[in-house]
Amino acid sequence: MMPARLLLLLCLIGPVFAEKSPDVDCLVVNLEYISCTWNKTGTPEVNYTFYSKLGNDQWKICNHYLTENNMNIGCNQPGDRFKTFKTRLIYGNNNFEKSHELKKQVKLNPPTNLTVLNGSDFNLWFYWNYTSPAPLHCVESEVRFRTNNNNWDFSKVSAGIQKYCINLPSSSSRYELQVRNRVDDTCGESIFWSDWSEPVVWASNNSTYSDDSMSPWTPVMYVVGAITLILLAMILLHHERLRIILVPVVPKPSPFLHNIEDWFQFSKGLKDNFKPNYNERACPVREYNYVSQSDVVSSDGSTCSVTTDQTDCSIEQDPEDLSAPIPSNPVSSEEVQKASV
Amino acid sequence: MKLIVFCLFTVYCCSLVKASPLERKKLQEVLRELKMLKRDLPNTELMMNTPPKDIEDCCCLTALTCFRETLLEHFGISGKYQKKLYKSLNHTLTINGLNFCNTETSTNNCSTCHSHPKEKASEFFNRLESLVQRVRLFQIYFRKLYIKY
Repeated sequence: MMPARLLLLLCLIGPVFAEKSPDVDCLVVNLEYISCTWNKTGTPEVNYTFYSKLGNDQWKICNHYLTENNMNIGCNQPGDRFKTFKTRLIYGNNNFEKSHELKKQVKLNPPTNLTVLNGSDFNLWFYWNYTSPAPLHCVESEVRFRTNNNNWDFSKVSAGIQKYCINLPSSSSRYELQVRNRVDDTCGESIFWSDWSEPVVWASNNSTYSDDSMSPWTPVMYVVGAITLILLAMILLHHERLRIILVPVVPKPSPFLHNIEDWFQFSKGLKDNFKPNYNERACPVREYNYVSQSDVVSSDGSTCSVTTDQTDCSIEQDPEDLSAPIPSNPVSSEEVQKASV
Repeated sequence: MKLIVFCLFTVYCCSLVKASPLERKKLQEVLRELKMLKRDLPNTELMMNTPPKDIEDCCCLTALTCFRETLLEHFGISGKYQKKLYKSLNHTLTINGLNFCNTETSTNNCSTCHSHPKEKASEFFNRLESLVQRVRLFQIYFRKLYIKY
């Protein structure tokens, strides 16, 4: 019972006193060398000796240490990312070995010599160079640009291409562009992009663009526009006829039969203006039947001929007395019937 | 006669220059077909003889042959992508593109296909992909810097 308890106690306190194993991280830098570091959790307390093994080769000791506070924290060495890469950190009797997959652990240097040209086609052309030893068809790029310090726009550039075009740039705008790159998928895609290159800026010579991005005329235009809007509102409110022309009223029909003029919500004065200020006498119209002379003679012996009469509107007549006979010889339809019988 | 020889020599030199982009395109085609086949992989637990990850330069062609024959043995050429991939791996341009060996080094030390341990199909395709990605031009660039160190 006692040895079991002692063993349990040792197992519990053992890890407290055990040395923490360093974690080695390796990265292929610009496809030129492999850089391994073990200071991710802080500067190590002891100076480790670093060994590396590439593929089936022998173990090799580090020739070029990286140091921090006089302690070894990393090592740079040549290598091939397609081969198995093993590292070993030794201090005293402690031996920490790790295997690495480096094919995708590549970080290229950022593109250099980023230049801009205003092409003869009135487009903006950006060019850059690579510094990695990889062939052009193995490196793809990504571009980000912004106009007048707005948000960045991103765009991918295919492998092998070292230029980018912005179509028909505005002469009053400011363009800023940066590029970054990585190894293409057909050559073993790297999971890390390079850092962004130094930015390049283009602005037309004739532009008056400034960093505050506001022209002095802009607030003046805003004030003039506001005053114009207020004046227009006042004119519309006080001139009803103008308002009706500009903003015609839509009639609002109701289920009850009202006077159709009440649908239009005009003011009384406007209604009166539409009423005529003159009186026109209506011309009474009567219908008369044509009776031939022979029929009239056989009926009552009188000889009178009648024709279809048209009212003579030139005669002044009271419009109220429309039933008064008109001075002519009309024959009503009843007299015609008697004649025919 | 001299003019004819000169013209033939010029044509030969031009063909050499043109071959490099063709090899590169062929290898890109192989990678594309490989990606499609990986996507449609029916049985991911299948174990296949797989060449090692660390292949010596002069054993690359032997490894390519092993990959090709193992594919034929397990997948045949009935499927659309299987057939295309097999043909691409058997193409002269692919073989030339993966020929990293100079004539001075012997290829007798390369292991046979059946002596390679069996790995999962996913690991098989990953190693084939890595082999193809080691294109000749890329190897040349990196070799120069390796010698420098």
